[in-house]
Amino acid sequence: MTKFMLAAGAAALAIASPGLAEKGQNKGGGNKDHAAHAQQAKGGGGQKARGGEKARHQQRMAQNENNRGKGSDKARADNRRDDKGSKNVRVENDRGRGRDDVRVAKVGDNRGQGHGNDDVRVARGHNDKIRVLDRDFNDVDVRFAPRWSGNGMRLGFINGCPPGLAKKGTGCMPPGLAKKLVGTRVAPAILSNGLVGPYRLWYRDDDDFMYRWDDDYIYRIRRDGDLIDAMFPFTNRDFYYYPVGAAYPDYFNYYNVPYQYRSFYPDGGDYLYRYGDGAIYMVDPGTQMISGIAALLTGAPLAVGQPLPPTYGVYNVPMAYRTTYFDSPNAMYRYNDGYIYRVDPTTMLVTAVIDALV
Amino acid sequence: MTTKKLLTAVSVAAVVALTACGDRGADNAAQPETEAAKDAAGDQTIAAGLGDATKFAAAAKQAGLDATLTGPGPYTVLVPTDAAFDKLPAGALDILMKPEGRSDLTAVLTYHILPGTILAEDIGKAIDTGKGKTQLPTMAGGTLTATKEGDAIVLTDGAGTKAKLVNAEEKKSNGVIHRVDAVLMPSKA
Repeated sequence: MTKFMLAAGAAALAIASPGLAEKGQNKGGGNKDHAAHAQQAKGGGGQKARGGEKARHQQRMAQNENNRGKGSDKARADNRRDDKGSKNVRVENDRGRGRDDVRVAKVGDNRGQGHGNDDVRVARGHNDKIRVLDRDFNDVDVRFAPRWSGNGMRLGFINGCPPGLAKKGTGCMPPGLAKKLVGTRVAPAILSNGLVGPYRLWYRDDDDFMYRWDDDYIYRIRRDGDLIDAMFPFTNRDFYYYPVGAAYPDYFNYYNVPYQYRSFYPDGGDYLYRYGDGAIYMVDPGTQMISGIAALLTGAPLAVGQPLPPTYGVYNVPMAYRTTYFDSPNAMYRYNDGYIYRVDPTTMLVTAVIDALV
Repeated sequence: MTTKKLLTAVSVAAVVALTACGDRGADNAAQPETEAAKDAAGDQTIAAGLGDATKFAAAAKQAGLDATLTGPGPYTVLVPTDAAFDKLPAGALDILMKPEGRSDLTAVLTYHILPGTILAEDIGKAIDTGKGKTQLPTMAGGTLTATKEGDAIVLTDGAGTKAKLVNAEEKKSNGVIHRVDAVLMPSKA
């Protein structure tokens, strides 16, 4: 196992080109279904902000993306026997150059949810000095503000787009225009624009599809022909949600639940589950109306190599994980959107991400 | 097997595993930790534990967030008491509870929902290390500022409205509930 992980780490380090690489299957250990994946987190470095909400986010996320693999990192993860069944261990070796030797054995927890898979993600950071350009991730436009007047509360959107219209640059893209893009070949600029930050974990490339984005949308691209297979607006607008009772916009109505929530909100059940604007919506398959909000996500830019957002100063690890992931002088842990992040208390940089779900 | 004994083993094993190589002690760690967590939190969800916060419960249902509060979470939910809702300007809640107010109602409620499980003790520690205050993220996107007034923890929204944690926290299977004495409102900071 250790041998494999070392090999995987070396393999990841050897990959210099951008792109997510899932490596390897662990056949060792004598236990069925044990699998280990080593991921080289994409080093998309040098993303340029081009305006728009996503670009700002991306800029923040990408500040430290270009410190890729030098040195001789070792990243290892224990994959131990577990009577409950299969356990996946993934090692994410992220641009490592440092001297850390990370070893994380995950204590799985399913909180009675009946899941047989314990998922471990270990991600390596680095010890480089990071130039922190922007630690404020709360500068996205506020789209909703209640304003009090003599007649009570006035409600309204500020600089936002009404439901069904995606923000497009300085305006709102009408549904028809977005719909026309599906089935067309993706623009080269988008094709080379991989996801960064938490979105890279949420939407993972596989054998059939790749996920890419621009300032406005996340695109699912069919590898065969580089055709846009589906898309949905990349927006996580503050204080904005699609209202229950509204129709879910049909032109991006496809299963797009973030990876870590898929076992909870699978396709093909009583509801269609759709992600958008910081929530997983329950959509009635018959009427296409939104009938509820199944889960909320922050979309906060926690990711390996990135500074912990200043609003995450408070320990918030779920009860079931607290005996394992507790703050100490050597490490801090924070939960967000299905993952527990390990943070270096000195640099305040996120150094690892561990599945916690949910 | 005793849970306590195993938990000790789990803790030790986890620490060892994080810093060094090899310790088979983590093998069976998942199960006892789960059991311990369930013992501590009970099986009741946040949605089921709203109790006498009838206005918050009704608002959550109206916004379609009742499913969220029964879901896996985990969330930290600041639940304004009914008296807190009564302190809103006349008609405000009525507007929010109308169908056309749903989107805004959702924004208001999600401003009361925080990622992860945050105990009062956790906020208190962060306030202490933060020289008297700390920030908290919300699902809605805005942030809250936490300070102490005496022993009480007070949360302040973007507009300066203060809400005090009024009851002991209630741990649930999918997070934790804190009762607060005011409704917080999102606004441009």
